[in-house]
Amino acid sequence: MTFELELRGITKRYPGVLANDAVDLAVRPAEIHAIVGENGAGKTTLMSLLYGLFPPDEGEIFMRGERVEFSSALDAIAAGLGMVHQSFKLFPTLSVAENVVFRQEPRRRGLIDRAAGIARVSELADRYGLAVDPEAAVEDLPVGVLQRVEILKALYRDAQVLILDEPTAVLTPQERDQLFEVIRRLRDAGRTIIFITHKLGEVMAISDRVTVLRNGRAVADLVTAETDPAEITLHMTGRAVDLDRRAPEHQPGQAVLEVENLTVLGGHGRAVVKDASFQVRSGEIVGIAGVAGNGQSELIEALCGLAEAHNGAVTLSGTDITTADVAGRRAAGLAYIPEDRYGVGTTRQASVSENLLMGHHREETVQRRGWFDRGAVARLTGRLVEVFDIKAGSVSGPVSTLSGGNLQKVVVAREMEHGTPLLIAEQPTRGLDIGAIEFVHSQLIRYRDQGGAVLMVSAELSEILSLSTRILVMFEGSIVATLDPRAVDEPEIGLYMTGAHLEAAVA
Amino acid sequence: MLERVLNQVRDMSRRAVVSPVTFSLLFAFALAAAIVAVTGGDPLAAGGEMFTGAVTGSGLRNTLGRSVPIIGMALAVSIAFRSGIINLGGEGQMVIGGLAGTIVAIYVPGPGYVIVPLAMLAGAVVGAVWGLLPAYGQTWLRLPILITSLLLNYVARAITGYLVRFQLLDDAVTLTSTRQVPETARMPKMPIFGGVSLSLILVIVLVALLWMVYTRSVAGYESQMTGFNMRSARYGGIDVEQRTVQVMVVAGAIGGLIGTHLIIGEALRFIDGELVLAGFAWTGLLVSLLAVNRPIPIFITGMFFSALQIGGLAMQRNAGVSWRLSQVLQAVVIVAVACRLAIRRGERPSTEVSDAESAAVGEV
Repeated sequence: MTFELELRGITKRYPGVLANDAVDLAVRPAEIHAIVGENGAGKTTLMSLLYGLFPPDEGEIFMRGERVEFSSALDAIAAGLGMVHQSFKLFPTLSVAENVVFRQEPRRRGLIDRAAGIARVSELADRYGLAVDPEAAVEDLPVGVLQRVEILKALYRDAQVLILDEPTAVLTPQERDQLFEVIRRLRDAGRTIIFITHKLGEVMAISDRVTVLRNGRAVADLVTAETDPAEITLHMTGRAVDLDRRAPEHQPGQAVLEVENLTVLGGHGRAVVKDASFQVRSGEIVGIAGVAGNGQSELIEALCGLAEAHNGAVTLSGTDITTADVAGRRAAGLAYIPEDRYGVGTTRQASVSENLLMGHHREETVQRRGWFDRGAVARLTGRLVEVFDIKAGSVSGPVSTLSGGNLQKVVVAREMEHGTPLLIAEQPTRGLDIGAIEFVHSQLIRYRDQGGAVLMVSAELSEILSLSTRILVMFEGSIVATLDPRAVDEPEIGLYMTGAHLEAAVA
Repeated sequence: MLERVLNQVRDMSRRAVVSPVTFSLLFAFALAAAIVAVTGGDPLAAGGEMFTGAVTGSGLRNTLGRSVPIIGMALAVSIAFRSGIINLGGEGQMVIGGLAGTIVAIYVPGPGYVIVPLAMLAGAVVGAVWGLLPAYGQTWLRLPILITSLLLNYVARAITGYLVRFQLLDDAVTLTSTRQVPETARMPKMPIFGGVSLSLILVIVLVALLWMVYTRSVAGYESQMTGFNMRSARYGGIDVEQRTVQVMVVAGAIGGLIGTHLIIGEALRFIDGELVLAGFAWTGLLVSLLAVNRPIPIFITGMFFSALQIGGLAMQRNAGVSWRLSQVLQAVVIVAVACRLAIRRGERPSTEVSDAESAAVGEV
C-alpha cells in the first residue's frame, strides 16, 4: 500500500548526541498516528527534520510514495504538511482571521478582501467544529482557542498531514476533549494526523496506531487497539514503571519553615497573597494545590526573596528571614526548584557545569578568596552528573542542548546538593516524561526521608495526593483549606480550588 | 576518545572557516579594493602601503601606541557588556578621569616614579566615580544606565571644558588648554619599536587579568552569569545590584586610566574637546562587540583596528587614497559580522528548536 507519509532511516547527529538513529516511520492515510517517547527520545528532532527546519544527516522522506526534500518549513507547507507547535506563533494584536490568512490573503482587485477571509475562516471552523470567532483579537483569547487558530492556519493552507506537538500540554480537560473531537472529525474527513505526546492516556484515547521512540530509535510500531499502556510504557522506558506510589507513613519532626500572616502585593497594590499562615516540618512534604494564578507563584517568590513581603513574618530554622535577600535566605537553609526551569532555573547560554555551580559558587569547597579551585569545581559537577544520571554530551557543553528532563535534573541535582533543611519545589515535574517524573518524585521522597522539609507547589493533583503529607489549597491568594491526603480525593480538592466550598457555605 | 578529539578538531577548523570574522574580513577587504579600483586607484598598491605603513618602522610604533586607548576602552566597555550593563559612558569616564590625572601630573610636585602612578590613580578614581553615578542611578532610582551614562558624557565634557577654560588655562599658548605636563610627570616610553609608551604593558596586564577573572574567579563567574540571565543569577543568590556597582566602578576606572594615559603619555596637554575627537571610546565599543567581549580577542581586534587606522594614514600619504577608506573598512567589517551572526542563528544545531529559531526559519 502507499503510505501518506514515510520516513526511512532518518538519522541526525549532534556533537556527542545521536538524536535520531535510523528512524523508520510509516503513516497511513486518514489515520491518527501517535508518536510517544520520553523527553529526549528524539520526537521533536524527528518532527523538525520532517518539517524542513533542518536537514537529516541520513535517510529519506516520502509523501504518497514520492521522495521529497524540504529545505525550509515553506517547502513542507507547500507539500501539504501543517505543524501546530507547543508554543503558538500568532500575532497577538491581529484578529483570528487575519492570523489564519496571513501571507495567503484572499484578494480583490489587488487589495486584501477581509470579508472573504472572514467567510472562509468561518466556513473552515464550522466544518471541523473549531469554535472560534474569526473577528476576535488573538490577544483576548484563552490558550485552548489559540490552538484552534493554529489548526485553522494549517487547514487554511490545505495541510493533508497535520502534526500536533504535545497539543494537550496547555489545555484543561474540557478543552482536551474538544480537541480530540476535532481531531476525529479531521480524520473522518480524510486528513492524516500525527500526534506527539508522552501521555499514555491520550495515546489510548485518540490514536489508531502508535510509534514509540526511545533514545533516538523507533522501538515499536503498534496498532493501538491491540496494545495497552503497560506495553507502550515498557517500550518507552525499557522497564516497568510504578506510577501510583503512595507516600509511606512518616512521622514529621520540628517546624523548619514558619509563615505567619504573610501578605504579598502584586500590581496596582492588590494583595495576591492574603494573610497566609502555615508551617512545614522536617520529614514532611507539604503540597500546595490550586488553579494556576491563585497566588502560589507569588507566595513562593516571597519565601525565596524574589518578591517583597508586605506584611507578616517568615522564619526559617529559627532565623527571621522576612527581609533577607536571596543569598541570605539560601544561607539560612533554603533551596529552591523554580517553576520556570528555562528562564530562572537555568541559564541557556551557560554550560552544564556553570549551571550546576550556580548557588554553590561561593562555597569554601570550590573557591578560596574569590578564585575557583577548578579541580574542586570539576569534581562537584562531575559527581552531580553521575549521581543524578544527567545525560549531557559534555559538562562543558551548553545546557541548551539538554532535553527538558535532563535540564530539570540539572536543577534538582544542584538544589538538592545544598542539603538545606528546606526544599521548595515548584511544579517540579511539569512537562516531564514518566521516567523523569518518577526520578524527581523519588528524589523528593528521599529528601523527606533524610529529614528534610519539602514545600511543593503542583498543578498535578495526582502528584499532590501521592507525595504530600499535608495539602494546602490556595484560592484567590488565601489558603482556604488544610487537608489530609489520606482522607480526601481529587473532586473534593477541586471544590476548594475553585472556591465552590465558599458558595456552599453561603448557601 | 580519539574520535572525540578528532571531532573537536574538525569542529574547530570548521568553525574557523565559516567564522563570521574570517568571512567579514575577506568581504570588507574585497569591497575596499573594489572602491579603490572604481575610483581609479590601484588596490594592490594602496593595500601594500596600508600594510607596510601599519607594521613597519614608525608605523609599528604608532600602531602599538594607538592600540592602547582602543584596547583599553574596549576592555572597559566589555566588562559592562558581559554583565548585561549597557555602559555608553566610556567617553565621559575617560575625559573626566583624564583631566583629574592631568591636574595631578601638572600641579603635584615630586619624582616621576611617584607622580606618574599617582596621576594614573587619580584618573582611575575619578573615572570610577563617574561610572558610579549611573550605577547608583540604576540601583537606587531605577534610571537606566544606558541613558544616564550616555548623557553624563556631555556633563563630563562641559565640566572639563569649564575647568580648562576658566581655571587651568595656559595663557602662554593660543590653545584652550592646560599647561604642558612637566617632563618628570610623563608616562615613560619603552626602548622598543622606537619608543612605545609603558601604558602598553598596563593594557597587556589588564587583558591577562581580565582573562583570569573571567575564567577562574567568582567575580567573573557572577558577572558573566548575570549578563547571560539576570533572573537566574538573582535566583542563584547573586547580588545583581552590588555587581552592577562594582562593574561600573572598574569600567570607569579603566576609562580614567586610559584618559590619563592619553594626556601624560601622548598629548601632554589637556586641550578642551581634543580627547573625544579620536572617538576611542566608540572604536573600543565596536572592538568589544566584534570580539564578543572576550579579553584576548579584544587585544587582537584592537591591534587590528589600530593598524587599520595607522595604515590608512600611510595609505593617504603614499598612495593618495583617503584615510577614510580605512574607516569604511572598519564599518564594513562590523556590519558584515553583524549580518553573519544573524544568519548563523538559523542554522545553529540544537536538539530542541527554540521559538526564536523556528520563527527565524520562516512563517509557520
